[in-house]
Amino acid sequence: MSYLTVQNAIKRFGNFAALNDVSIVVEKGEFFTLLGPSGCGKTTLLRSIAGFTDLTSGTITLDNTNLRAVPPHRRDIGMVFQDYAIFPHLSVFDNVAFGLKPRKVPAAEIKTRVMQALAAVRLESMAERLPAAMSGGQQQRIGLARAMVINPRLLLMDEPLSNLDAKLRIELREEIRDIQKQVDIATIYVTHDQEEALAISDRICVMSAGRIEQIGTPQEIYGDPQTRFVAGFVGTLNALEAGSATEGLLTRLGLSSGAGLTWAVRPENIGLAGTGMTGEQLAGTVKKFTYLGREAHLEVETPVGSLVVHVANPSRSEILAPGAATTVVVPRESLMAFDAEGQRTEAEA
Amino acid sequence: MARPNFWTLVSIFTWALLILLLFIPVGSVLFSSLYDRAGNFSLANYATFFSEPRFFTAFVNTLVVGAGGLFGALLLGSIMAFCISRFHIAGGRVVSLLAILALVSPPFIGAYSWIVLFGAGGLVRGMLRDVGVTMPPIYGLSGILIVFSLKFYPYVYLLVLGALANVNRSLEEAAEGLGLTPLQRTLQISFPLVFPALSAGGLLALIHAIADFGTPRLLGRGYSTLATEAYAAYSAEVGSNMSMGTTISVILIAVSMIFVLLQRYMSRRNVYHGNLINKPVKIRLRGWRNVLAHVAVYTISLCGAMPVIVSVIYSFRRTSGPVFQDGFALQSYERIIFNLGDVVRNSLTFSATSVLLIVVVGTLIGTLVARRTTISTSLLDGAFMIPYVMPGIVIGIAYIAAFNTGPIVLTGTASIIVLSIFIRRLPYTVRTTASALRQISPSMEEAAVSLGYSPFRAFLRITVPLIVPGIIAGGMLSFVTAINELSSSLVLYVGSTMTMPVRIYLLILDGDFGVAAALATILLAISGLAVYIAFRFIGRNEQALL
Repeated sequence: MSYLTVQNAIKRFGNFAALNDVSIVVEKGEFFTLLGPSGCGKTTLLRSIAGFTDLTSGTITLDNTNLRAVPPHRRDIGMVFQDYAIFPHLSVFDNVAFGLKPRKVPAAEIKTRVMQALAAVRLESMAERLPAAMSGGQQQRIGLARAMVINPRLLLMDEPLSNLDAKLRIELREEIRDIQKQVDIATIYVTHDQEEALAISDRICVMSAGRIEQIGTPQEIYGDPQTRFVAGFVGTLNALEAGSATEGLLTRLGLSSGAGLTWAVRPENIGLAGTGMTGEQLAGTVKKFTYLGREAHLEVETPVGSLVVHVANPSRSEILAPGAATTVVVPRESLMAFDAEGQRTEAEA
Repeated sequence: MARPNFWTLVSIFTWALLILLLFIPVGSVLFSSLYDRAGNFSLANYATFFSEPRFFTAFVNTLVVGAGGLFGALLLGSIMAFCISRFHIAGGRVVSLLAILALVSPPFIGAYSWIVLFGAGGLVRGMLRDVGVTMPPIYGLSGILIVFSLKFYPYVYLLVLGALANVNRSLEEAAEGLGLTPLQRTLQISFPLVFPALSAGGLLALIHAIADFGTPRLLGRGYSTLATEAYAAYSAEVGSNMSMGTTISVILIAVSMIFVLLQRYMSRRNVYHGNLINKPVKIRLRGWRNVLAHVAVYTISLCGAMPVIVSVIYSFRRTSGPVFQDGFALQSYERIIFNLGDVVRNSLTFSATSVLLIVVVGTLIGTLVARRTTISTSLLDGAFMIPYVMPGIVIGIAYIAAFNTGPIVLTGTASIIVLSIFIRRLPYTVRTTASALRQISPSMEEAAVSLGYSPFRAFLRITVPLIVPGIIAGGMLSFVTAINELSSSLVLYVGSTMTMPVRIYLLILDGDFGVAAALATILLAISGLAVYIAFRFIGRNEQALL
C-alpha cells in the first residue's frame, strides 16, 4: 500500500473547478513536485493535504488513515510557506521550538532537537536573534527547520523559494534536497519553476487547469513529454508551421504527416550545419543571435517557420549577424507529434 | 466546533450593543423630532426650523465655520506638511510635538486662551495698544475661524505628511524628465497622490468644526451654530424644548453625513500603492527661503500650541479669588486638591472604564469584522460609521431622549457618560484592530496549526501577541479622547458625575481661569502620559492620534 494517496480529488469554488478529478500516489521518502502555471490547482491540492482547504469530494489517505477526518492541527504534517510565516515576536530558537511544545517534549530534548535542526540549516549561531531583520533566505531556513524538527509524517512546501533571488534559489534548493534525502521524509513541493522542479524532484506531476497532465521522473517529463502542454511548459518548444514545407521535411525524414497532427521540436535537439549533427537540412536566415557565454540562442527563419536553435559552446568565430544565411539540421528522432487533443502520438511511417 | 459558536455569539452581542447604544438613541432623536408635544406625528419642528430666521442663521453659520475650519486647516496643514517633508527644518521633532499638543488639548481651552491674549482685556492687545496699535478683539466669526484653523491643522498636517513621505521621488523625477515645470509637477503628480490624505484630513477638520460646541459658545458672542442651538434648546432654564433640540440634532447628523459621503465619493478611485524604492529627500534651503520656511513652520506650530502654553503658565500664577496677581504660586493646584478631587477622580474612572470596555469589545468586534467576512459583518462595518459622524452634543441629547424614561433609565448615572464615550470611540478600535489583523498573513496562523496548535490556540499564541501592542496603543489614544470629551458629558452630567472638561468649561464661564488653567494642565499631563505610553508601544506615530 502506498504511503500517501489522493483519489479522485475534486474541489469547486462556486462554478470554478480548482481540482478536477485528481489522483496521485506518493511513496515514503519520495520528493514529489507539483508543477504548473498559477491557477492550475497545485496549491489547492497541497492545502487540501495540509487540511486548510477541504475537498468537495475525493479521498486522502496517509499511512492507511483517512486524512480528511483528521483536523489540520492533528495531521502531523510539516509545512513551509511561500511568505515564510516566521513568527516575528519569537526568537529563531522559539520559532523552531514552537511545534515541540504541544507535543509535550521535555525541555532538555527540545534544546538538543532545535539546535540540531538549526545546525542542519546552518543557523545555529543565530538561535537567540529575532527573525525580523534576517534575510529572506535565512527566514526560509528557519521555516524549514521549524517544519522538520517535529519529525512530521509528511513535509509540504508551497513555492518556498519564489520570493528569493536567483542565486540564493539555486543554493537553497540544493540544501533542501540534501536535507530531505538525509531525513528521508516524503515531501510534496509546489512550484511553477520548471528548472527548479527538474533539479529537485524524484517525480514531477505537471498540472494544468485542475487536471494532471503527466506524472513522471524529471527525465520522462522533459525528454518524453506525453502532452503538448507538458512539452511547452517544461522547456522551450518550436512548433512547425503546417504546410507543404513541413510535409516535405517529414516525407524526407520518412515520417507520415497524419491528419490533425501537429509537430514540434526542442531547440537543443536541432543544430546548425557543420556542428556534427546529422539529419535533414533546412536553409534559413538568422533573425536574432543571442550570445550567452556557454551557449548561444539563434532565431532562424526557415520554410517550416521560425525556429529557435540552441548551440552549445559557441566559438567567437561562429557569431552570426542578423540577415546571415545559415542551414538548420533537423535529426529524425528530434521531432515530436501531438494529436488534436494535445496527446503525444508515435506517428511514424 | 466551539469556534463558530463563539463568533456567532460575538456577532449577536455586537448587534445587541449597537441596537441598544446606537440605534435606539438615534431612533429616539428622530422619533422625538417627528412628534409634537401632544404626542402626534408632525413635521412642525422641521417647519419651525426652516421658517425661524434664528435657526436658519445657525444652519448657515454652521456651514460657514465648517468651511472656514476646513480651509484654514487645509492651508496651515499643507504648508506645514510640505515644509517639513521637503525641507530641512531645524528642530523638526519640536514641531511635531507642538502639533501633538494642539491636537490633545480640548478646543474650548484654546478659545479661552485666545481670549486671554486677544480678548477685550487681552494681554497682547493691551501691549499693542500701549505701543499705539489698536486691533479688534478676537470675538465673533473671525475668532472662531482662527481657533479652528489652529486647532484642526494637525489633522491635515499629519495625514498629508504621511502621504508626502510615501510619494516615490522617481515619479517626480520622471515628470521632470518629461519636461514639466515644478508647478506643473506639483499640481499634476504630487497633488493627486496626496489628495486622499488631503481630503481625509480636511474632512476630519470639517466634522470637528461642525461638531465643536465650546469654541463658538465662548468666542462667538452671539454667533450661534447648530451645536450651540441644540444645547440651548436642550438646556434652556425656562421652557426646555427637547423636540427642537432633537430636530437640530437630526439636521446636524445629516450635514455631517453628507460631508462624509462627499469625501468618500471624491477619493473613491484614489488609492495608490507606490513602491518606495526611491524615498523623497529633503532639500536644505538657503537664504531668505530658508528663513521663510522656518518662520512659517514655527509660527503655525507655536500658535497652535499657544493655548497649552498659556494654560500651563497661567496655572502657576498667583491668584486672589478668581483675579490674577503678580508672581507665581501653586494656589490653583491647592484649590483643585481641596475642592475638585472628585472631578479628577470621576474623569479618570469614567475614562479608564470606557477604555477598558472599548479595548475588550473593540478587539472582539474587530476580529469578527476582519476574519468573518459575511453580509452581517459588512453591515457592521457600515453601522460603525454612524457614531463617527455623530457630534458629541447629539450623542448626549440622544442618550437623554432614549434613557430618561422607559425600560432603561440611565440619566444622572455614571454609566450613561461611560457608555456615551464608549460608543463614540468604539469604531476607532474596531477599525484599527481589523486593519492590524488584515496585515498579518493568514499563513502565520496556518503555520501554527500545522505545528499542532488548534485554530483557537494558534490565534491566542500568534495573532494576539502580534496585535497587542497596537491594541494597547489604541486604548491609550482612546483614553486621550475620552478624558478630553466635553460636549456629550455636558449634556449628560449631574453634580456627582462632573468631569474635568465640564468643570473647566464651567470655571471659564465663571471667570475663574486660574483653576481652569490648572485643571487643564493636569488634563494635558495625563493626556501627554497616555500618548507617551502609546508611542512606546507602537513607535512614534503621530497619525495614530487622528
